[in-house]
Amino acid sequence: MNWYHWIALGALAICALVLFAHFIRLIRLGNPTDYSKKSGSVAKGVAYSSTVAMIDHKESAYLHIPTYFAGMVYHVGTFVSLFLFVFFLINIALEFTLPLWLKWILIAGLSISTLCGFVLFVKRLLVKNMRNLSNLDDYLSNLIVTFFQGMTIGYLLCPCVEAYYYIFVSILLLYMTLGKLKHVVYFFAARYHLGFFYGWRNTWPPKKVK
Amino acid sequence: MEKLSQEQIDKALKILKMPADSKLVTHLNACVHCGLCADSCMYYKSMKEDKFIPARKVELVASLYRRYCTLTGKIAPKLVNARDLDEKMAEEMVDILFGACTLCGRCVKHCSIGVDIAYVVRIGRQMLAAMGLVPATLQATVDAALTTGNNMAIPTEEFVDTIKWMEEELIDEMQDENARIPLDEKDKNILYTLNPREPKFFPLSISAMAKVFYAAKESWTLSSTMYDVTNYGLFNCNDEEAGIIARHLHDEVKILNAKMLVLGECGHGSRANRWEGPNYLGMKYDFDMITVAELINDYIRSGRIKLDKTIIKERVTMHDPCHLVRNGGLLNELRFAVKSAVNDFVEMNPHGNDNFCCGGGGGQLAMSEYNDRRIKIGEIKAEQIRKTGATIVVTPCHNCVDQLMQLNHHYKLNVKIKSIGEIIADALVIEK
Repeated sequence: MNWYHWIALGALAICALVLFAHFIRLIRLGNPTDYSKKSGSVAKGVAYSSTVAMIDHKESAYLHIPTYFAGMVYHVGTFVSLFLFVFFLINIALEFTLPLWLKWILIAGLSISTLCGFVLFVKRLLVKNMRNLSNLDDYLSNLIVTFFQGMTIGYLLCPCVEAYYYIFVSILLLYMTLGKLKHVVYFFAARYHLGFFYGWRNTWPPKKVK
Repeated sequence: MEKLSQEQIDKALKILKMPADSKLVTHLNACVHCGLCADSCMYYKSMKEDKFIPARKVELVASLYRRYCTLTGKIAPKLVNARDLDEKMAEEMVDILFGACTLCGRCVKHCSIGVDIAYVVRIGRQMLAAMGLVPATLQATVDAALTTGNNMAIPTEEFVDTIKWMEEELIDEMQDENARIPLDEKDKNILYTLNPREPKFFPLSISAMAKVFYAAKESWTLSSTMYDVTNYGLFNCNDEEAGIIARHLHDEVKILNAKMLVLGECGHGSRANRWEGPNYLGMKYDFDMITVAELINDYIRSGRIKLDKTIIKERVTMHDPCHLVRNGGLLNELRFAVKSAVNDFVEMNPHGNDNFCCGGGGGQLAMSEYNDRRIKIGEIKAEQIRKTGATIVVTPCHNCVDQLMQLNHHYKLNVKIKSIGEIIADALVIEK
C-alpha cells in the first residue's frame, strides 16, 4: 500500500466514525413520544414513506421530471462511485481485474451521472430562485461529488491517476462530515419520521378516495 | 423592532439546543436546498417571491441551528449560511414563519427529501413565542381563550342566551317540546364542542347539529363555559398555553362525566385536541374523542339517522381541511358523510391529501396584518371551486368556512358555504 492509500483509509475511517456518531445521536434521542391514540400503522407508514412515497403523486417529482431524474441518476452515480472506492481499496489486496465490459458500463453510467451533477450545478448557479436559496456549501458539495464521479471515471480509464484519485476522495470524505453531505444519514431519518407521523394518523399509506 | 435581550435569545436557542427527540435534529439537517418544494406552496405559487419557498422557511431555523449547534457553523458560518439570531433575523422570521405559512403541510408531502417543513416552521414559531414575538393579533386570540375559555371572549350569559334561542327554534321546527339543546348536563354520552364562530356568527350550524342529535336520539350536552374546540396555541406555538387550553376540554369531560368528547367542525381544533392535546398534557386520555364527521358516519351506518339524497338538488363539492385530512387521516370519513346526503358530488382538483389550504389556516384569520396575503393565496382555492361548477361548498371547519366566505365575496364565486352538520341537517328525514 502507498501513502495515499493510507490517507484515504484514514479519511474513510474519520468519515464513517463521524457519520456513525450522527446516527447514534439520532438513535439516542429516540422517537417523539406520542400520547395520542394511534389511528393507523407506523410500520406501514414508514414502509410507504421509504418506498412508493418517493414517486407517488409527488410534485417535486412529476412537476420537475428532468431535475428529479437528474438528481436520481446523480445519486446512483455517487453510491456507485463510493462502492467502487471501497472495492478499489479492498482490491489492493485481492488484485482482481474488472472485466472490460463491466469497466465500460461503469464508465458510461458514471459519465451520465457526472453530467447530471454538472447540470444540477449549473442550474443552481443560473436559476435565480436556486441561487438565492443556495450557500457556499451547496455549490462545494455539488462540485466535489461531481468531480468525485469524474475522478472515478478517470481512474477506471487510466490507473496512472491513482494518487490524485485517492487524495481527492480523501478530501471528499473529510468534507462529507462538515456540510450538507451529511444528509446521507439524515435523509433516511427524515423518511422514517415522515412515515411515523403520517402512519400514526392513518394518512399513509394513502387510501383511495371512495 | 426593539433590541433583543440576551435572555430572549437564550430562551429561543434553548429550543434548538435541547431537542426532546431525534425529529428536530433530523429535519434541520435534511434539507438539501433543491427548491423543488416551491410549487407546492400557495404563497410561492401566488406571489412568486423567493422568500416564500418552503425551503427558505426551513433555512431560517436551520441557519440558526447551524450557527449555534454545529461545529462548522461556529467556525465557518459563511460556508454553511449559519446566521446570528438578531433583530433583523427575528423580524424576518415573524414575517415569514407567522405571516407566510398556513402550516397546511402540503409542501411536506411533496418534499423530495421528506423534510417536515410545517414542523420546522412550528419550531421557528416556538422560538419567536419564547422571545415574546408572537404577532399581537394572534396572541390576543390565545389570551382570550386563556382568560375566558373561548377565543372570541363570548360572555357566558350571551352564549347561554344564544343556545336558548336556538333551542326554541329547534322546538318550533321539530314541533316537539322535548327537542333540546342541553347545557351542562352530567353523565351524558357526548360532550359536544363548538367553534366560537358558531354562537357568534353562525348559530344555525349549532341548531343543525342539534337537529342531527335529535334525530339520532343522542344523549348529549354542551358546556356553558368550556365548549371551545379551537386552540390557537397550535398556531402561536406556545406549548404551555396550548396545554392550558387543551386542558379546558379535558377537564370539562371529567366534570360533566361525559363518556365521549366530540370535536365540533374545526380542522385545527380537532388536531389540537385529538393529536396534540395528549402531548401538550403529557398523558393519554382515558375517554374517547372523535370528530363530528365520524360520529355522523356512525349514525348513518347504524341507521340512527336517515337521509334523503333527493332533497339537495344542487351540485356539491368539498374542501378538505388540512388538519382533518392531510394531517388527520380522515379522507374518506368526510366523503362518506357528504356523499350520503347529496346526489351530485364533484371533487376539486387536487383534493384529499393533495388539497390546497383555504388560505386561512395557521392562524392567518386571526392576523389581520396579513389579510392581503391571505386573500391573494386564496385565489388558488377560489379557482379550484369555480372549476367544479358546484354551487355548494361543504367543509367541516369553521375557520375554513370563514375564509371561504371571504373568498366567495372577493372572487365572486356565487356559492353557498356549508358545514357537514348543515348539509346533513338539510338532507335529514325526521321520523316521528
